[in-house]
Amino acid sequence: MSRQAVLLAYRRSPHTAAHKGALARVRPDDLAARVVTAALDAAGVDPAAVDDLVCGCAFPEGEQGLNLARMVVFLAGLPDRVPGVTVNRFCGSSMQAIHDAAGRIALGAADLVVACGVESMTRVPVMGFNPMPHPGLAARRPDALSSMGMTAENLARDYAIPRDRQEDAAVRSHTRAAAAAAAGRFAAEIVPIDTPQGTVAADTTIRPDTTAEALAALTPSFQAGGTVTAGTSSPLTDGAAAVVVASDDFARAHGLTPLARVRATAVTGCRPEIMGIGPVEASRRALGLAGLALADIDVVELNEAFAAQILAVAQDLDLDWARTNTDGGALALGHPLGSSGARITGKAAQRLAETDGTLALATMCIGGGQGIATVLERTA
Amino acid sequence: MTAAAPAGAPARAAVLGAGTMGAQLAAHIANAGVPVLLLDRVPDGAPAGDPAARSALATRALAALERADPPAFMHRRARRLVEAGNLEDDLARLADCDWVVEAVVEDPAVKAALFDRLAGVLKPDAVLTSNTSTLPRALLAKTLPAALQPRFAITHFFNPPRYMRLVELVADGEGDAGPVGALADFLDRGLGKTVVRAKDSPGFIANRIGAFWIQTAINEAVDRSIGVAAADAVLSRPFGIPKTGVFGLVDLVGLDIMPAVARALSATLPADDPFQAIARPQPLITRLIADGYTGRKGKGGFYRLNRTGGQRVKEAVDLATGTYAPAGKPRLEDIAGARDAAGLLAGDAPAARYAAAVMTATLAYAAAVAPAIADDVAAVDEAMVAGYNWRHGPFRLIDRIGAGRLAEYLTAAGAAVPPLLTRAAEAGGFYHRAADGAATCLSAAGRPAPVVRRAGTLALDDVRRAGAPLFRNGSAALWDIGDGVTLVEFTAKMNTLDADVFACLREAIRITGDGYRALVIGNEAENFCVGASIGFGLFAANLAAWDRLDAAIRDGQDTFRALATAPFPVVGAPSGLALGGGLEVLMHCDHVQAHSETYAGLVEVGVGIIPAWGGATRLLLRQLAQTRRPGGPMPAIAEAFTTIALAKVAKSAAEARDLGYFRAEDTITMNRDRLLADAKARARALADGYRPPPPPDPVALPGRTGAVALGLQVDAFARLGQATPHDVVVAGELATVLTGGDCDWTEPVDEQHLLDLERAAFGRLVRTEATLARMEHMLATGKPLRN
Repeated sequence: MSRQAVLLAYRRSPHTAAHKGALARVRPDDLAARVVTAALDAAGVDPAAVDDLVCGCAFPEGEQGLNLARMVVFLAGLPDRVPGVTVNRFCGSSMQAIHDAAGRIALGAADLVVACGVESMTRVPVMGFNPMPHPGLAARRPDALSSMGMTAENLARDYAIPRDRQEDAAVRSHTRAAAAAAAGRFAAEIVPIDTPQGTVAADTTIRPDTTAEALAALTPSFQAGGTVTAGTSSPLTDGAAAVVVASDDFARAHGLTPLARVRATAVTGCRPEIMGIGPVEASRRALGLAGLALADIDVVELNEAFAAQILAVAQDLDLDWARTNTDGGALALGHPLGSSGARITGKAAQRLAETDGTLALATMCIGGGQGIATVLERTA
Repeated sequence: MTAAAPAGAPARAAVLGAGTMGAQLAAHIANAGVPVLLLDRVPDGAPAGDPAARSALATRALAALERADPPAFMHRRARRLVEAGNLEDDLARLADCDWVVEAVVEDPAVKAALFDRLAGVLKPDAVLTSNTSTLPRALLAKTLPAALQPRFAITHFFNPPRYMRLVELVADGEGDAGPVGALADFLDRGLGKTVVRAKDSPGFIANRIGAFWIQTAINEAVDRSIGVAAADAVLSRPFGIPKTGVFGLVDLVGLDIMPAVARALSATLPADDPFQAIARPQPLITRLIADGYTGRKGKGGFYRLNRTGGQRVKEAVDLATGTYAPAGKPRLEDIAGARDAAGLLAGDAPAARYAAAVMTATLAYAAAVAPAIADDVAAVDEAMVAGYNWRHGPFRLIDRIGAGRLAEYLTAAGAAVPPLLTRAAEAGGFYHRAADGAATCLSAAGRPAPVVRRAGTLALDDVRRAGAPLFRNGSAALWDIGDGVTLVEFTAKMNTLDADVFACLREAIRITGDGYRALVIGNEAENFCVGASIGFGLFAANLAAWDRLDAAIRDGQDTFRALATAPFPVVGAPSGLALGGGLEVLMHCDHVQAHSETYAGLVEVGVGIIPAWGGATRLLLRQLAQTRRPGGPMPAIAEAFTTIALAKVAKSAAEARDLGYFRAEDTITMNRDRLLADAKARARALADGYRPPPPPDPVALPGRTGAVALGLQVDAFARLGQATPHDVVVAGELATVLTGGDCDWTEPVDEQHLLDLERAAFGRLVRTEATLARMEHMLATGKPLRN
C-alpha cells in the first residue's frame, strides 16, 4: 500500500471585501506568505524540511504571476532549496494543490509539502487583465465561456429553485458564519494580517443581520427577470489559505498529530453552462474511491459559489444541512477563488476534530465545468 | 481641482457657514484648486472632545455636496481640498487663510458677533468678505476693527455658485490696488466669475432689479388674471429672458426665499423707493409655502409634476383659486398676438398688455435706481446678464425698444419718467459707438462713459466689427483675430458639423499656412458643437447614397488629420457641449484650452453609429499610451470601449481629462469670457518653433480575441436588459474597431488601418434599419431611441 498523506495544520487570512476591504492594499503574494508561515508554525515543523510549496491561484498574473509559489517561498523566508509550483484549476486551484501534495507524498516523491492558495480579487480582476478567449471556440462553443452568474441562473431554472429558497440559503450561511465567529471558532484558523492601516484579524463580509426580506429587495445581478442577486452570490473577496501536508511517516517520526488523512480525491468535468453542479459527480467519485457513501460522512464543506448552485448540488446528493457548512460558507465568507479549496479542506479537517467526527467531504464547483472533491478521515 | 490655482490666488481660504450657499461656495473655491476650510457652529449638546460631533454640520453639508445635482465639484480631487470643521475648535486655523468669506444667516447681530471673534485671529493681510445678499457693507463694516475695514468687502455670489456667473463686489473706494483688488482678480480668473462692482445699496444690483421685476410680474398676473404659463411665455423669449420666465424662476429659487428677500429689501430701502409700493404679500404664495409647495425643492410651486397614473403631466397653479391644471405650452401668437418685444408693447391682447406693464415698469425702475446702485448702466446690464441669465440687460433692452418710445409709453400710462431715461432719450440711447469703434454708455450721472473690455478677453463681436472674415460659408467662418492667429467659428444651427464646416476647416488650413502662425477653433455660442448634422446622414441613408456617406466620413477623417499634421499649431477652445464630431475635432488639435464648464462626450452610439472621424482611434491611442495601468492592451481597450459604448459625457473639463477626451497637458479656463483670449495666447506660445507631431506609432492590438472578450461583457449587459439588441450590434462594431479588426498581436497596425475600420463599421451600421430609426428619433425628439 502506498504511503498516506495527512494534513498537519490549516490557517487562513481573514476575508475582506474586494476593493473596499482592509486587505485590498495587501499584495496577494504577501498575503499567501503570511498564512504559509503561520501554517508551518501551527504544524510545528522545521521550514527547512519542506519539500515543495504548491500554490493555487485562479488568475496567476500581475502580482499573482511570476510563478507565485516560488515568490511565496522567498517571501515566507523558506530556504532557497524549497521549490514552488503554481497550479490553476480556477476555483478548485488550492484543493488541487492539496491533491498534488498528497499525490507526491503517495508516490514517495515528498514528505512535507505546503499546499496553499490565494486570490486578491481587488488587485487582479476576474478574467485577468487581458482576457483573450479563442474566437473560434467562442463561436463554436459559447457555453465554454459562460459567465458564472449565468451558470447559477441556469441551475435555478433547471432545478426549479425559486429565489426565496436561494435567499433562505444565503441567510443560513450568514447566520451560521456569524454564530461561528461569535463563538470564536474562526479564531483558531485566522492569521491576523498587518497592513499599513493596522492589523486585520476578522472576516468582514459576514452580515449577521441579513434577512430574507432584505435580500428580496435586491435586483437580479446577471439576467433581467432572473433570480440570482448579489445577496445569493459569494462576494468578491481577498484572502489566502494554507494547509501543511505530510506523509504519515513524517508525522510519526516527528511526533506530530495530524488533523486528518486524505482518504480519496477526485476531479470530474461537467457541462460548462451548469458548472455549479460539478461537486455532484466529483463527490460521488471521491466517495466511491474511498468505498464510502455520503451517509458515512460526518462533516461536509461545500463551497458556496452561489445559493442556487449549492441547492442544486444538495438536491442531487441529498445533502443533510445539519452536517453541511455548519460554520457557514462562501455566501457569507466570500470566495477568494484560488484560496477557497484550501480553506474548505482545512476547515473540514478542523471540524472533524471539533465535532469528534471521523469522515469529511470537501467539494466545490469550478468555472468552465468541473467539480473537485476530497474525502478526509480523522485518525487520531 | 481643475487646474493649478492661478497666480495671486489665495493659498488657503475659509467659508464660514455651511448652509447651501456656503457649502457650494467652498466646493467652487476648491474647483479653482484652493484648499478650503468649511466651518459651521457646534451643534447644541455636542460634547467637548468629540470632534466628529462638533463638526457635524459642516461634515453633513460636505456629504450633501457630493450628491449635489448638478454637481458642485468639477472633479473628485476638488472634494479632497475641502475640510470640514467648526467655528470654535477650528477658529484659530483661520490665521492661515488669505481669504475668509462669511455665509452665515442674514442677521446683522449674528454676523457682527462672528466678526468680533475673527478680529484677533485673521492674519494682517487676509481679506474678509460677506456673502450677504441684502445687508449693506457699511452696516457690517462698522462693527469691524478699523484695521480690518479696508480689507472687508461684500462678495455676493448667486446660487449655485459653480454655475451662476455673477459676483457683485462691494468694497470701499480703494480701486483695484490692494488686497480686495487681488481678490477681484481671483474671483474673475480663478473662480471664473463676472465680477461687477456695485455701490453699497440694499440688494446691490441684480436682486434689486430682479426682485422688483418678479414682484411686479406676480402682482400684475394676479390683478389681471393672467395664467402662470402665459405670463412666463410672454416674459421670457420675446425679451431674451430664460424660458423659466418669472414663475418658473421663483419655483427654481424657492417660493419661501422671495418673501424673505422682499422683507429685507423693504426694511432697508428708502420709503419712497418704488419697490415699497409693490411689495405686498400674496396670500396664495403664503398658502403654497405653508402646504409645502416651496418650489422645485418641495412638492412643486407655481408648477408641479403630476405623476398620478404613471404619467408626468406639468401642471400650473391657478392664481385665483389655487388649484392645479395642466399647464400646456401657450403659443405667443395665440395669447398675445405677437412674438417679439416690440409687438408685445404695441399689442392689445391681455397677455401683451401684461408683458408691457411688467417690463416697462421694470425698465423704468432700472433707470430710476441705476445711479444709486452702479457706476454706469453697463454694470447694471452685466449684472442682469450674469446673474439672471438675461440675454440683454435692461438698458440694452431699452435701446432695442427705443428710449424715447419707452419714455412716451410711461408718460401715456401716467408713470414717472426717470431722469436717466430722459437723458438717454435725448442722447438717442444708452449705448453709443464712435466712428473709431470705441463704445460708450451712460454713466450714473448720465454722461458718456467708456465701455471697456476687460484685459485678457477677446470678443468675436469686436473681431466682426473690425473687418470681413477671411472665409465664410453657410456653416462656418474664418477670422483673423490678430497677432498672426486665425479662428474658425462654427455657425450652423447648434453648431453642427457638415460638409461646409469641413470646407471651411480646409480653407483655414490653407489660409493659415499661407501667412499666419496659428489657428484657434472656438466660438461664443452656448455650446461648442453638438456633433455631426444627423439630418444629412439620414437623408443620404434614405437615398441609399452610400458613396456619399462614405465620402463624408473620409472627408472628415482627412480634414481632421490635416488639422493634426498642419505646419502650425491648432488650439481647440470649447465651452458647453462638445459632443460626437465636435469632440473629435478637438481630439485632433495640438492643444485644447477648455472652459471649465465643457461637457464632452463621444455619444455617437446614441444614434446607432460609432465615432468614425478618428475619435475612436484617437481615444484608443491615448488609452494605449497611458502607462499607469498594468500591462497588455486589454485594460486600455476596455477603457476606450466602455467610454464610447456608454456614451459617457464628462460633467466638466476636468472630468474630460479623466476620460481621455482631453489630455493631461490640455489646460482649463475658468472664466468663459477669457476662453478665446487664453486659447489665442496658447496658440501663439505654441507657434514659436512649432513642429507638427509625427504620426502615431503603430500599435499592437489583439484582433478578434479582444473583440470576443468585450463581447462577453456586452452580453452580460444585454442579459440584464441594460443593453438593447441594437446596442449589442453597435458595441460589436466598436469592439471590432478598437481591437484592430482581423489583425494579430505580432503585427502592429497604424492609424490608417484604424480609420479604415472606423469607416467600414460606420458604413455597416448606417445600413441597418435600427440605426436609421435611432437617427430619425433623435431628429424628431432630441432624445436617443433605445431599440
